Amino acid sequence: MADRKEWEPKIVAFCCNWCSYGGADTAGMGRFQQPASVRVVRVMCSGRIDPLHVFNAFLEGADAVLVTGCHLGDCHYVNGNYKTEVRYQFLEELMIEMGLEPERLHLSWISASEGEKFASFVNKVTTEVKKLGPSPLKPEGVN
Amino acid sequence: MNVNVGDKLLGYATDPGIRNRGASGGLVTAVLAAALERELVEDVIVLKHINEYEAVPIITDDVDEVLASTGSMHTVPVNLAKHATGKKVAMPGKPCDVRGVIEQAKRNEIDIENTYIIGLNCGGTMHPVLTKEMLINMYELDPEDVVGEKIDKGKLFFKTQDGEEKGISIDDLEEAGYGRRESCRYCDVKIPVNADIACGNWGVVGELAGKATFCEVMNEKGVRLLENAIESGYIQVEQAGEKEIAIREKVNSAMLGLVDKWTEKIFTDIPLQERMKYYMEQFADCIDCGACKEACPACTCKEESKCTMYHNLADDYKMSMYHMVRLLHLSDSCVGCGQCSDVCPVDIPVTTIFRRFADPAQKKHNYKAGMTLERPPFLEVMLK
Amino acid sequence: MDQEEIIKDTKDADEPRIGVFICECGVNIGGVVNCQDVADYAGTLPNVVSSAVNKYACSDSGQSEIKKAIEENDLNRILVAACTPKTHEPIFRACVEEAGINPYLFEFVNIREHCSWIHMKEQEKATKKAQDLVRMGVFRSAQLDPLQSNEVPVTDKALVIGAGVAGMQTALDIADMGYKVYLVEKNPSIGGKMAQLDKTFPTNDCSICILGPKMVEVARNKNIELMTYSEIDEVDGYVGNFNVKVRHKARHVDLGTCTGCGLCVDKCPVEVPNVEFNEGIGTRKAIYVPFPQAVPLRAVVDRSVCIDCGACVKACNSKSIDLDQEDSISEIEVGVIVVTAGFDVYDPEPTNDYGYGLYDNVITGMELERLINASGPTMGKLVRPSDVKTPKRVGFIQCVGSRDKKSNRYCSSFCCMYALKDAQLIKEKYPDSEVYIMYMDLRTPFRNYEEFYDRARDMGIKFIRGKPGSVTEKDNGDMVVRVEDTLTTEVIDLDLDLLVLSVGAVSSESNERIRQILKVSRAADGFMMEAHPKLKPVDTTLDGIFIGGVSQGPKDIPYSVSQGSACAARATRYLSQGKAITEGITVDVNDDLCVRCGMCITMCPFQALSLEDDKVNVIKALCKGCGTCSVACPTSALEQSHFKNDQLLAQVRNVFTFEE
Repeated sequence: MADRKEWEPKIVAFCCNWCSYGGADTAGMGRFQQPASVRVVRVMCSGRIDPLHVFNAFLEGADAVLVTGCHLGDCHYVNGNYKTEVRYQFLEELMIEMGLEPERLHLSWISASEGEKFASFVNKVTTEVKKLGPSPLKPEGVN
Repeated sequence: MNVNVGDKLLGYATDPGIRNRGASGGLVTAVLAAALERELVEDVIVLKHINEYEAVPIITDDVDEVLASTGSMHTVPVNLAKHATGKKVAMPGKPCDVRGVIEQAKRNEIDIENTYIIGLNCGGTMHPVLTKEMLINMYELDPEDVVGEKIDKGKLFFKTQDGEEKGISIDDLEEAGYGRRESCRYCDVKIPVNADIACGNWGVVGELAGKATFCEVMNEKGVRLLENAIESGYIQVEQAGEKEIAIREKVNSAMLGLVDKWTEKIFTDIPLQERMKYYMEQFADCIDCGACKEACPACTCKEESKCTMYHNLADDYKMSMYHMVRLLHLSDSCVGCGQCSDVCPVDIPVTTIFRRFADPAQKKHNYKAGMTLERPPFLEVMLK
Repeated sequence: MDQEEIIKDTKDADEPRIGVFICECGVNIGGVVNCQDVADYAGTLPNVVSSAVNKYACSDSGQSEIKKAIEENDLNRILVAACTPKTHEPIFRACVEEAGINPYLFEFVNIREHCSWIHMKEQEKATKKAQDLVRMGVFRSAQLDPLQSNEVPVTDKALVIGAGVAGMQTALDIADMGYKVYLVEKNPSIGGKMAQLDKTFPTNDCSICILGPKMVEVARNKNIELMTYSEIDEVDGYVGNFNVKVRHKARHVDLGTCTGCGLCVDKCPVEVPNVEFNEGIGTRKAIYVPFPQAVPLRAVVDRSVCIDCGACVKACNSKSIDLDQEDSISEIEVGVIVVTAGFDVYDPEPTNDYGYGLYDNVITGMELERLINASGPTMGKLVRPSDVKTPKRVGFIQCVGSRDKKSNRYCSSFCCMYALKDAQLIKEKYPDSEVYIMYMDLRTPFRNYEEFYDRARDMGIKFIRGKPGSVTEKDNGDMVVRVEDTLTTEVIDLDLDLLVLSVGAVSSESNERIRQILKVSRAADGFMMEAHPKLKPVDTTLDGIFIGGVSQGPKDIPYSVSQGSACAARATRYLSQGKAITEGITVDVNDDLCVRCGMCITMCPFQALSLEDDKVNVIKALCKGCGTCSVACPTSALEQSHFKNDQLLAQVRNVFTFEE
C-alpha cells in the first residue's frame, strides 16, 4: 500500500468544547488540508485535561500530545485555562526532565474562529515529529 | 517575660533533672511537658527510645513519658508528619517533619491551628541499618556497645560502654557511602523556620554551651508554647546576644554551603537523550509495593488513588503510570524528606529522583512545598 | 430521580448493545471516506450489535433508520459518525431519546470536519483515520452512563442592581409581567447618568423630561421595591435561589416622613462642591436633595463633611433627621439577578489628557452637559471656568479615553453623537459662536443619527479630521490646539475659548465590585462579559444572572433601554416557569474514595463545591460541568459525568492499534 511507505505519527489532541474543538471544526469548514496524524479528544474545558490522560496517551503510543483550549481570558468557565496553563508548565518540565523531546508536547490556545491556526499547528507538529520518529515511550508494535 | 514573634532566645529547663538529661538544657522536653501539663494540648508526640538506633513515635498524654522520651538523635527512623493527625497535639520535628506536617495540613489531614510544632535544627540524619553497618566497617565497634554519639568539628563520635570514644570525619564517612541520608545532604532547610519555634544548639556558646537551646519564635503559636512553659515555671529564657545569633547563622551558612557541594555532586546532569533510559532503568526493579506512597508526607490518599487506580502491570508500559502520576504530584509537593528512599525494598533512590523533578519546578514557580500553607501553584489560580 | 432509578428506567442495566451509523453526508464524507469499509470495521468491534451507512443521518429518513435499528436490535447505545457535535449533537440526542434511550448514551464522532474535509486527497488515510475515530468512540460509548438534568425551583422575585435607565426599564418590565422586583441603587436617587444629561440625541428632547416620568413610574409601581442608597454586600446561591445581602447606607433621613421640603438644606452651613450630580461645578450642602427631580425626593446627609451642628435637625418639622443612624443590612431571596450597574465617565485628570486638570478651560463632555443644562449650576448659561464668560469659540476633541492603546482600545460608541448634540445646542443657543469637532472617524449608525450629523454640518459646525498633537494655554486663558487636518494635510493652530474632551465610558468601580461578588466574567475591556456575543448578548455564563446597559459595555440610551427589556425577558423566563433546568453534565463525589483533602474546593469558579460535615458537597445547580475540579482530585473520587477518567482513558487507548 502506497500510504504505508511513509510513517504517519499518531498525535492525540485534547480540545475544549468551546474554542479549540471549534477551531478544528473551522479548519474543516475552511478545507485546510492537514496530515492524517491527529486524533481529537473532546473535553468540556481545557481545565479538564488531566496530566493523567496525557501520560496515558504517551504510554499507549502517542508520538505527540497537544493540549489546547480557549485563549486566556476567553474561558467559558471563567478561568479553567489559567489553571491548565500552570499545570501544563509542571507537566512540560516533567516530560522534558524525563527525556521526552520538547517537540512532542504542546500547549496552544486556539479560538473557534482560528481554523487556519489549528491546521498550521497540526502541520508544524506533524512535520517536527516525523523528523524525530516514533516516541521513545511508544510500546513495541503499536501505532 | 513577654515573648514576641521574631524573638531569638536562649533557654533551658528549670528542673535540673530535665536540664541534665535532655540534650542542650532540656528546653524542648520541658516545653512539651508544659504544653501537656497546662492543657495547651491533649497529646504530645515524642520518640520513645528503644536503643541507640531505634526509636518509635508515640502519642502520649503522660507527662512522665514525655520526660522520659529521647532527645535529639542522629539516627532518626521515620517522618513524624503522618502521626500528627487528630487532636490538639504538640510535637518536635526536624525541618522535613515540619514540612510534612504542613503538607498534611494543606490537605486537611492535620488541623494546623491545633498542632504545635517545635522545630529542631537538623544537619542531617542517618539510616539506622546503615549506621550499624558503618560502626562495624568504619569504626570497628560493636553496635551493641555504643551508648552515645555526638558531632564535633565535622567529626562523628561514638562512645562505648567502657568509655572509649572514636571520631571519624563526616566527609570521610559520606565518601565511603555512610553518614547522612542522601536526601539530607542536599536538603536546604536546616533551621525549621516553618515551625512554631525553631530550636537547636547552634549559637549556644560559652558558659551555656551544651546547657541551653537557641530558640527562635516563628509565629503566635510559638509565643503561646513558650509563654506557657515560662509561666508554668518549666523553662527559663533570655534574649540571645548578637554573637549567638551570628554564630547560629554561621553554622547554618556552613551547612548550606555543604548542601551546594552535595547538590552538584548528586544531581549530575543527564544528557537529554539518555534521561528516558536512565529513569527506565531506575524504575526497572520496582515491585509495585506502594511503600513510597504510604510513607510520603505529601500524600493523604488511602490505598486507592489516581496513581494506583490507573496503574496496571498488564499494560506493560515503558514507564510506570504509578510513578508518572506520583512524579507530577511530587514535582509540586515533594518536601525532600527521604522517606520514600528509606522504605523502598529494592533500593531505588526514589527521593533523589523526585527531587530531580521537584527542585527545578518548585524553584521556577517560586514555591517551596511544606514551608507555608500556600498550596501548589495551579490550585492558587484565582478568579481573574 | 436518583441514579439507580435512571438506570432502571433506561435499558442501561444490560450489557452495552451499540448501534453504529456512518453518515456519508452526501459526498461530503462519502466522497473521501469509504463509509462502507468503516461500517464493516465497526461491526467487528466489541459490543457493536449493528452498523450501517446512512446517506444523511440527520435527515428524517436517517433518523427513522436509527430508531428502527434501536427497535429491531434492542440497542441501548448509539454512535453516529458524521459532522460536528457542536451543531448536530442535540438533534441526535433528541432522536435517541424518542426511541427510549437516555440522550447521554449517544456518542458523536466527527468524521467530516475532522476527517473527510481535511484529508480530501488522502482517501485511504482518511478511511483509516475514520476507523480509528469510530473505534475510539465505540470504546467510549461502552463506558457511558445515563444522565439526567436536574430541576430546581425558582423564587419568583427578581433583583435589579443599578437604577439607571436600563435598570429602570428592566424593573418596570419584570414588574409589569407580575413579579416582585427589588431595585437596588447605590446613589440616593434613581436615574443614573441619563438624569445628568441636558438633551438627548438624535431628537434633542430634554433628558430629564423623558426620564422623570419613568422614574416616578418606578417609584409608584407596586411590584417594585426601591432600595436607594443601598449596595449589594454578598450573594450566595444559584439560579432560582439567590440569597442577597443588601447594605442600606445610613441616609440619616427617614424616607417615610421626609417631605423633601428643603428647609434643612437652607439651614445647613456646610457647602462643598457638588461632585455627585454637577461634576464638581457649583456646590451643595452637607444635607442635600440630590437634584430637583430626584426619586425619592428626599434629603440625604453626607456625614463625611457634616460638622454635627444639628441645624438641620432643628429645622426639620417632621423630625425626620437622625444623625446617629447606622448602615443596616437586609437579606432578600430572589430567583434571578439583573446587573445594570452602569459606568464611570473616563477621567482624563490623572494623565492630564489635552491639558485637562492643568488648564481651567479644558472640560469634559459630562461637565459641559451640566453647564448647558437649564437646571444645572449655571441655569443653562454656558460659561467657561477661568473667567465665567460665555465662550465664542468652542472645540471638541473626540475619542478621549477611547480608541487609544494608552487608555482604552474600545470605542465608547456614544461620544460622537453627544459631541454632535452638544455642538448643536451651543450653536442654537449662541448662533454666532464657532464650534469645531476634531475627530478620527465619526460614527453615526442607527436611525436619524447620520441625519443628525448632516444637520450639524448644515448648522455650520466645523469638522476637522485629525487627532490634536498639543494643547497650550494663552495668558488670557484661551486654548491653542495644534491639529493636522488629515484631509488637507494642513497643520492648524486653533484658538479656542473652551475645549471640550469627548470622554468615553469605563467600567466603574461599583460595576467591578458587583462583578466580583457575582463572579461574572470580565471582558478584556473591563466591562462584564456576556455569554455569547451574538446569541446571548445579555446572558452571562452564570445561569440566572443577566447583564444590561453599560455594565456590559458602552452603549447609548436606546440600546441600553433595549437591553434592559431584553434582560427582563430573559430573566422572566425563569420566573414564569417557576423552575430551572441545570446542566446534566456535572461532577459527582464518590465518598468511598474521597479523602476530604479539599484540593478541589477552590478549583471551582462557580462555588459549586464545599467541604461540609467532613464531606465534599456538590451543588448541582451551580456546577457547570467543566470538570476542572476532577483534575485536582488525587483519588478520582471527583468525576465529571460524561467525561469520566475511564471514559477518556478508553477513548485515548483506542487511538492506537497493535500493528505488525
